Order: sequence, then C-alpha cells, then structure tokens
Amino acid sequence: MKHPLRWAALAVGVVVAIFAIILAVNVGTDPRADLNTSRLLGKPAPDFSLTKFDGTELKRSDLAGKTVIINFWNSWCRPCRDELPVLQQWYRAHRTDESVVMVGIPRDDSTRAIRQAARDDQMSWAVANDQGAKSATLAFATRGQPESFVISPRGIIVGSVLGPLTPATMDQMVRVGKRNG
Amino acid sequence: MNRPARRLAWIGLGVIVLGIVVGIAWPSPAESRSEHVRRLALEFRCVDCEGLSVAESATASAAEQRRDIGVRIDRGETDDDIRSAYVELFGENVLLRPATNGVGVLVWALPIGVVLLGGIGIFVALRRWSRQPRLVSTDDDDALVAELRMPHHDD
Repeated sequence: MKHPLRWAALAVGVVVAIFAIILAVNVGTDPRADLNTSRLLGKPAPDFSLTKFDGTELKRSDLAGKTVIINFWNSWCRPCRDELPVLQQWYRAHRTDESVVMVGIPRDDSTRAIRQAARDDQMSWAVANDQGAKSATLAFATRGQPESFVISPRGIIVGSVLGPLTPATMDQMVRVGKRNG
Repeated sequence: MNRPARRLAWIGLGVIVLGIVVGIAWPSPAESRSEHVRRLALEFRCVDCEGLSVAESATASAAEQRRDIGVRIDRGETDDDIRSAYVELFGENVLLRPATNGVGVLVWALPIGVVLLGGIGIFVALRRWSRQPRLVSTDDDDALVAELRMPHHDD
C-alpha cells in the first residue's frame, strides 16, 4: 500500500472491528454478574464480632468446630420475609443438632425493628447486631439480602446463596459443611 | 496562509499544548482525609444499588465501606492497595472505572487510538493537499483577464 491515508483507514477499520467484537461479546451479559458470585467461597471465613440481643458478644472463634449458617437479612426486606418460614422449619428440625449453629445478622435495619421482628417471627436462633468494630456485612462482602453463608467446622466458607434459601439448599450446604469438617 | 500567520498559529498551538501539560502536571493542593475517602468511594460501585457509587449511596453497607476506606487510609494503605482489597472482596465489577491493566486497558486505549489515528490521517491529508502544485497564471492568462476587464464599446 503506497498511500499513508490507506494505512490510517485500515488502522481505524481494525480498531472499529475490535470495538465491534468487544460489543458483540458483551451484549446480553450482565455486567453485575461478577458481583453475584461470592468470592469468599473456599476461603477462611472472616473474623467478626457481633452483639446479641441479650448483650453477650458473639465472635467467629466462639463457633469454631461447628457448622455455621449465617443469614443476612432485614425486617423490611420482602424476600427475607418470604424466606423466614424455610428458616423456621429448618431450624425446628435441626435444633437438637449441636454441631450446627444458625446466626441471623441484619444488614441495614434499626435495632428496634430487628428486636420486634425477631420476637414476632419467633426467631429462636441467634440474632445479633452488626455494629461491632469488625463489620460482618462488609467482611463477608455481602451484596444484598437475604444472603446466606455456610462455614465448615474448620472455618472455611463452603456455601453462599444470594436470595431466599430453600430447605434443599440448606440441607445440601450443611451436608457439605459437615463433610469438610 | 502566509508565513507570519502560520508562525502565529504554531505559537498558539504550542501555548495550548503547554497549558494542558502544565495543568495536568501541576501539583494539586494537599487532599484532606474526607476528600481522600470521597475520591476513592466515588470509584466503587454500591453493591446494593443500581448505578450509584459508594460515595453517593445512603445504604448502611455503603456507609460501612466509606468508614472502612477511612480506616484503611489511616492504616497507611495506598489507593491501589484499597482498590485491590475491594476487587478481592467483590470482584472487578466493583470498580466503576475500568481497570487500567489486562483487558480493561482496551477501554481506555481504543478511543485514544482512534483519536490519534484520525489526527494522523487528517495531518497526512492536509500535508498532501498543501504539497499539490498551485496554479500560477501565465502572461497570456493575465493579458486575457486584462482584455476582458477593458470596457467594451459595441457602438
């Protein structure tokens, strides 16, 4: 090619083609998909320090050796309310199993609303306020509510679900947790 | 364009380029802690919201992230350390601005490449046009024009 203008036109064409390919590849993909998968799966659970309603402290180290279900929720969150019967049913069926602990942590709610919801909805499991120095909401990189994590007895995050849990999911995650104990 | 005008145009262009370079390179006044937190918080996507940054969101998790950014700054973490920590926690999409490495660099480089190539193309085209020989009138042409300009007396 003798003319520099043709070279420039070719180069612009190549760049436009690259743009078109990138656009074509990304059309239809959810740019937030990356945010919808917890990056903590398979990693050690972060430290946290929570205050339960009876005033006692709940730390990650207190739960060592147990399979822990951590459920982030809010009293005003509709999907959390929809999930509640599943949690209640599952907890009733497993409350005698001392190797499993369930903890509810509100993400963005007032203490008063949490207390009332916990009482009205008969949440028999531990419900703790996330107002300690180490925020569990951020440490677990939560992305919404409800969001649940299962920690194995060795302290590894073995399950994570963003959205309401089902009994089957809970059973499966706890099974995996115990297997990795 | 005659020579003085061309020289003036080059000087003008030089002044503009120099102004841009100085403007970019001039050290900005010291940033306060809250400004630093806000600047970084503007870079992170609020994970609870649609299209809002951590700086703009009113959610509890965004407030917690702003607090956390402040704690990290106090601990002496650099901006890159903080960005990496958040990418590690939430993934690449937590950054509202595309990364300047890996595939993300294309997002920055391609528009600049297009502008550069376009500029080069225009420069080359202008140079070629300016090199084309100009038509100069001959003595015969001048005589013809003079003849045509002479008043005609038909009667």
